[in-house]
Amino acid sequence: MSSATLPPAVQRRALTKRILKSLPWYPFIVINLVVFVVFNLWPWLSMFQTATFKTDLLSHREFIGLDNFVKMAGDELLHLALKNTFLFALLYVPPLVVVSLLVAILVNQRLRGMKFFRSVYFLPNVTNIAVLALVFRRFLSPRDDAPFNYLLGLVGIPAQRFLLDIHQALASIAGLGVWQSFGFFMVIWLAALQAIPQPLYDAGRVDGAYGWRLHRHVTIPLLRPTAAFVVVITTIGALQEFGAIFILTGGGPVNATTTAVYHIYSQAFNFTRFGYASALSILLFLIILIIAYVQNRYLKFDEEVY
Amino acid sequence: MTSLRPQAQRSPLTLLRVWIGFQPNQGLRTVITYLLMGVLAVSTVGPFIIMLSVSLTQNIRFLLFPIDLIPNPITLENFQLLFARTLALRWTYNSFYVAAVSTLGGVFTSTMAGYAFARGDFIGRNVLFYMFVGILIMPETALIIPQYIMLSDLGLVNSYTALIGPWFASIFGTFLMRQQFLSIPRDYDDAARIDGANIFDTWLRVLMPQLIPAMVTLGILRFMGNWNSFLYPLIVTTKAEMRTLPVGLGTVARSGGDAGLDMAGAVLGFVPTFVVFLLGQRYIIQGVSLSGLKG
Repeated sequence: MSSATLPPAVQRRALTKRILKSLPWYPFIVINLVVFVVFNLWPWLSMFQTATFKTDLLSHREFIGLDNFVKMAGDELLHLALKNTFLFALLYVPPLVVVSLLVAILVNQRLRGMKFFRSVYFLPNVTNIAVLALVFRRFLSPRDDAPFNYLLGLVGIPAQRFLLDIHQALASIAGLGVWQSFGFFMVIWLAALQAIPQPLYDAGRVDGAYGWRLHRHVTIPLLRPTAAFVVVITTIGALQEFGAIFILTGGGPVNATTTAVYHIYSQAFNFTRFGYASALSILLFLIILIIAYVQNRYLKFDEEVY
Repeated sequence: MTSLRPQAQRSPLTLLRVWIGFQPNQGLRTVITYLLMGVLAVSTVGPFIIMLSVSLTQNIRFLLFPIDLIPNPITLENFQLLFARTLALRWTYNSFYVAAVSTLGGVFTSTMAGYAFARGDFIGRNVLFYMFVGILIMPETALIIPQYIMLSDLGLVNSYTALIGPWFASIFGTFLMRQQFLSIPRDYDDAARIDGANIFDTWLRVLMPQLIPAMVTLGILRFMGNWNSFLYPLIVTTKAEMRTLPVGLGTVARSGGDAGLDMAGAVLGFVPTFVVFLLGQRYIIQGVSLSGLKG
């Protein structure tokens, strides 16, 4: 605007008017603002400060500069934790994305009782992880006659040790995660599937495409933006997995399920190294940010879709 | 392999080919679809049925197959034990209290802020909006440690304030409600203003009644999210009597008791969200597919 040319008194009056017009709106956002400053912004900023200290929050508090970050290079448990975190993401994301899509295609058919099946598949997703852990700790028991081993026995597979085996524990928890979440992503896929115009399918059928071929040439190309969204969201979730690990394995056996978040938790609350845990939180934040950014770029996440 | 004779034989390979779509056969396809969905449904619901059945079984130390799905006799002993040995009753109360206040508070503040961002013209609106977007992007687990440190500095560890605080406002909810307000034509605002209503009255009496379904959706999502949250309540509570039900049940799971006791705890944690899900599943599924984002 040409406000510079106006006399100061007019300018001041305009500003006063603008402030007076603004004032009635602030009460509407004040609670939000307070909550975000107290529980997000302040902790977030203070994290960078705490990361430069060695502190147990009680008596000891010593400024050590960037030593916490230097320490990461020699922290072998951290390296293992990062490896486990990425391994977990690999064991969790691809099966979850594929299974939820296949189930969505399955329940997207116009058949009787589809609503019922959709609800049933969604059920584990609304159940909290402590309940699932209580149940699956029993199912995954290494005894021969525990549920999973019993079922394996029926098809002639010998009993497995699941959560107690260093090679199976992480995969078992990933499996539980897929079982818990596929219903949620099924709903997201469904929304995308149902947004595909029916005439495209009719045209495909006229051309002689059925079932899988129809999906290959019509469905999948149109689902790309949703696929990107689902991959990014599930990856971010996988990198932050905690509840099932905390309850079911406590990071074990022999650190086989110690992931990044569990390592942070353990450094803070088992070893009272809050400065180091803060530095690790910054690392986790950066890792998630970079991976999400790269996935967004690479998968061409199209924002218009949602 | 190359001769595609429809329905010539019912070998698994043919069935697979029919279903995949190399051979159009709608009837067979339907049968296979139901079969697959049935198996999947059993695997989804089965564990919960077994959970319920074991929780009602007398004296059951281990969960071993095969089991009787209908226990004989049916007993509530495990639940009595659970309430006697643990603070399950207190945890249930904590969870309900925290979830109720968090849900009501979160929906209320989201509706207010959503209105301001949709209709308001105030200094700093865009800056605040992008700040909120920025916070939404941040992974919550990375904030857990600094949040604990702050609460510990303020002496708020083991308080309801700590458990409810971050849930008393929702960025996701604010965006959702903003979207909803934007979907209402401004003519309503103008008409209300001509009738002498101020912005507060317009919000409360004119616009909000139209957004009840959206508020219910948000409320259910918030309730579920709060009830099911685990890491945050685990961190901000150290005393057993301040735990929420999932966190308390986590300690039960780690203590290694009877299968019966474990499953009684699982049923207790399962029922509230199950009931809310049964009553509000239409809203939940709508909310998920509308937003594509959780909590």
